[in-house]
Amino acid sequence: MVMEEDQKKFVIPIGPQHPALKEPAHFELTVDGETVTGATARLGYAHRGIEKAVESKNYTQALYMLERVCGICSHVHATAYAIGVEQLQDVTAPPRAQAIRVLVAEMERIHSHLLWLGVAAHEAGFDTLFMFTWRDRETIMDALEALTGNRVHYSANVIGGVKFDVTPEHVTSILRAVDFLEERTNHYMDIVNNDAVFLQRTRGIGVMPKEKAEILGVTGPTARASGVTRDLRIDAPYSGYDNYTTEMILDDRGDLEARFAVRVRELFEAYRIIREVLDNLPPGDLTARIKRRINEAETVSRIEAPRGELFYFVRSNGSDQPDRVKVRTPTICNMASVLSLAVGHQLADVPMILVGVDPCFSCNDRMIRVKRSGHDHELFTWDQLRRYGIEYYQRKVR
Amino acid sequence: METLTAIVALLLFPGGIALIAVGLLYKWVNLKLLARAQNRQGPRWFQPFADIAKLLAKEEIIPDGVNRRFFVILPTIALAGALTAALYVPVFGVNPSYSFSGDLIVVIYLLSLLTLCIGLAGSNNNSRFSVIGSTRALTQLFSYEVPFLLAMLGPALVAGSWQISEIHDYSAGRLLLLSQPVGFIIAIIGLMGKLEMPPFDSPEAETEIVAGSLTEYSGRGLGLFRIGQGVELVIGLTLVAAFYLGGVGNPIAFVLKTLGIVVGLAVLQALATRLRIDQTVGLWWRYGALLVLAQWAVLIVFRAV
Repeated sequence: MVMEEDQKKFVIPIGPQHPALKEPAHFELTVDGETVTGATARLGYAHRGIEKAVESKNYTQALYMLERVCGICSHVHATAYAIGVEQLQDVTAPPRAQAIRVLVAEMERIHSHLLWLGVAAHEAGFDTLFMFTWRDRETIMDALEALTGNRVHYSANVIGGVKFDVTPEHVTSILRAVDFLEERTNHYMDIVNNDAVFLQRTRGIGVMPKEKAEILGVTGPTARASGVTRDLRIDAPYSGYDNYTTEMILDDRGDLEARFAVRVRELFEAYRIIREVLDNLPPGDLTARIKRRINEAETVSRIEAPRGELFYFVRSNGSDQPDRVKVRTPTICNMASVLSLAVGHQLADVPMILVGVDPCFSCNDRMIRVKRSGHDHELFTWDQLRRYGIEYYQRKVR
Repeated sequence: METLTAIVALLLFPGGIALIAVGLLYKWVNLKLLARAQNRQGPRWFQPFADIAKLLAKEEIIPDGVNRRFFVILPTIALAGALTAALYVPVFGVNPSYSFSGDLIVVIYLLSLLTLCIGLAGSNNNSRFSVIGSTRALTQLFSYEVPFLLAMLGPALVAGSWQISEIHDYSAGRLLLLSQPVGFIIAIIGLMGKLEMPPFDSPEAETEIVAGSLTEYSGRGLGLFRIGQGVELVIGLTLVAAFYLGGVGNPIAFVLKTLGIVVGLAVLQALATRLRIDQTVGLWWRYGALLVLAQWAVLIVFRAV
């Protein structure tokens, strides 16, 4: 039995390699028997330096790189960036392009939420639901592939509009997929709300009251499941969301059950929005012309990603390369809630609580340079870092 | 001659090789049915055999900080216990090789040996996942063992004997499932708890504690534990079929009845979410034990009348 000498604590490590997490993150759970008494997180295993890398690309190249920030919600990243650059140049995408952006975003929300439902069911040990949701998710993946040519990185956006048009054949196939999924989602709604064994694992677990949710600054479906009215599609409509009747899905219970219910109800909302978009596709161009060099300015654009608020800051210095792009993804806002909710629960509930916020670690990791006067040498150069690494492991081996 | 029969019974049939092969085959049936219920293809029939062959051929890594002798001998004891139990049980529909008054208790004890060994294997270890897993395995052992034993003693009570062959003779042709439905259900679910099948798989919940007690086991040790679980599956199925489903007088009845139970097990596994360990304990003591005791009361009253 491993005891920390100083504190006599029993620490369970989860990650960076652990079957519960398919992405690298490290959590240390202090447990007393089965009860969790403390939780700490260490992120940063998947830092890829994308923000810095786009500074050496031109605006169009940066679009494709930023789309690869996230493998699940790739479209929202490209949209947020494209809208930001369009704002810098005072251009708006044509109405038809905006509608197609909304269409792809909602299809992406469907695939993301279905994926999450499966993963969450797997964490609860309910693999049947996992298999079924992932099978049904293929329907929307196929529709996305038929529409855009890709399953994951759709590359729907260009700066100033979208790349492809929606043909009547696409409309029929998407509507068919949505009809099928709506029927299936009714079934999942029934499981999430009524399956007694499943409810044992979700009801009253990880309760986050509204006040706490506001203090912790959570976003997205996690916040809405605690009754916080926070949905950018309604609060600050972008890309023509104000043309459609979007309803904010709220639940005031704040536990895992509510988080399941909110996400499944958001699926229905996404089906409805897709039908509305396809019914009223405005005619017209797909792209607005935009210059290669972007005006010297800075801007902020915000998008409601499937996981919550996605924030982009873009600054231009008048050249054809962005001067600075800052990305804030929703997971980093929600991570604090996991650590604070885990305490006091059973060890078995922690994976559920963690997955309850729909974490996405690879878009989470940032490098922060803390500036203190006279301590500039805390920055490593590449050679220093390499030498430090070699020495560190030599010490460790000994 | 008698020695030769004993050796054959122990090593070839009905114990030993035949039992191990059938145990792995039943594991495959369970995997395949579960997969089909979950809309998957599932493995091909030789998958458990291939797994075991590969595990037995691999290097066994003994981690630092364990009692080495203990680490190596625990899987052997677990498998030996399960194989010994087979000698007193009518597996494959043939009469038990050995029989004496009260052998039911011995068999149930031998079947618990596997879980006990898994629990000890976990606690004889520095890995934190193993320690948590072994705590859970032993907690679960204490929760399902009593209701399972009581469910198994229900038929013994009406047969008026604690000898497996005599209970089997009594239950042959009588569907005790109809007169003792609670006992049957508890026995089935107890079997799932014994074998750590979902939803009672919290001792090896991969999303929390990797592989529980067996996290540090590899190669031969892990392979022997797996074989032991397969053997225990067959013995458990045989006991339930012999006591509750009108006996397993011949091989065909054995195959049909045990496979019937496996179908039920697969459906139950597919339907439920994994229970937390406190929920498992609550389920067994709050409902399982009380229900089976109530059934006992009914049986005793009827016998007295």
